[in-house]
Amino acid sequence: MSDLTMQHLTTEELELWAQGLLGAARTMHLTECTLCFAEAQQERRLHLTLSQLPLFAPRAGFADRVMAQVKVPKTSGEFRA
Amino acid sequence: MVAWAKEGHEAAFRELIRRYERPVFALVYRMVRDRALAEDLSQETFIKVLNALASYNPDYKFSSWIFKIANNAAIDHIRKKDLDTLSLDGAPDADTPDAIKATQLQIGTGGESPLDEVASKELGSAIERAISKLRPEYRACILLRFVEGYSYEEIADVMEIPLGTVKTYIHRARNELREHLADRRPETPPAKAP
Repeated sequence: MSDLTMQHLTTEELELWAQGLLGAARTMHLTECTLCFAEAQQERRLHLTLSQLPLFAPRAGFADRVMAQVKVPKTSGEFRA
Repeated sequence: MVAWAKEGHEAAFRELIRRYERPVFALVYRMVRDRALAEDLSQETFIKVLNALASYNPDYKFSSWIFKIANNAAIDHIRKKDLDTLSLDGAPDADTPDAIKATQLQIGTGGESPLDEVASKELGSAIERAISKLRPEYRACILLRFVEGYSYEEIADVMEIPLGTVKTYIHRARNELREHLADRRPETPPAKAP
C-alpha cells in the first residue's frame, strides 16, 4: 500500500470526493479506511442536500423598483433618472 | 455587460439585475429569513451597486462585489436587530466549553407575524432550519460555497476575511450541518388522516 493510500483524507479532499473531483490515488484510500468512508458519505449527503435547496426569487417587478431609483449615466457623463 | 452599462445603456442595467436578482435575494433571504426584509435589502444592494458602477474595478468579479454588499447589508441588519441566530459553536474564536457557552446567541422568542409564517413555510425544511441556526458568518460562507459554488478565495474576498478564517468557518458550519443530517432520517410527508 502506498503512502498516499494510507493517509486519511483532508477536509478539502472529502469535499472534492463529494463533487467527484478527487484523484484516483487518493480515492483508493476510501476502500481501505472505514472512518474516512463514513466521513465521505456524510459529506456527499451534505453536498446533495445543499445542492437541492430551492431557488428563491423576489416579487415580480423587482427590476422596475430598482431602476426607479438608479441613475443611468448618459454618454455625455450626465445622469438621467 | 458592466462596461455596456457604464456607457449608459439601460438594457444593460436591467440585464445585470436579471442575472443577479435571484442569487442575491436567495442569499439575503436565507440570512434574514424574512421575505419582505430580504426584498428591501436586496433592492438597496442593487441600487447601491448600480449607482456606483462608475467606481467598479473590473479587476474584481462583479458578482463578488454585489455579494459583498448584499452580505454586509444582511449581517449588519442581523447584528442590529439581534435576529434568531443561535450558533452551536459560539464565537468563532471560542475554544473552551465555557467560552463557547458564553458566546452562543439566543433564539428570539417573539411571536410570528404573517410574513414570518411565509418564511416558516418556505424555509421550514430540516436543512433550512439547520442553516438558520448557524451564526451569520458561517451561514454566509456555507451558502456562498455550496449554493453559489464560490471558491474559498472568492469567499474570503466577498466577506473581507482571511482565507484561513473562511476555512475555519466552513469546517465548523459543515460539522454542524453534517451532525444535524446524520441525526435524522430523510424526511417523509406526514401520513394523511383516513
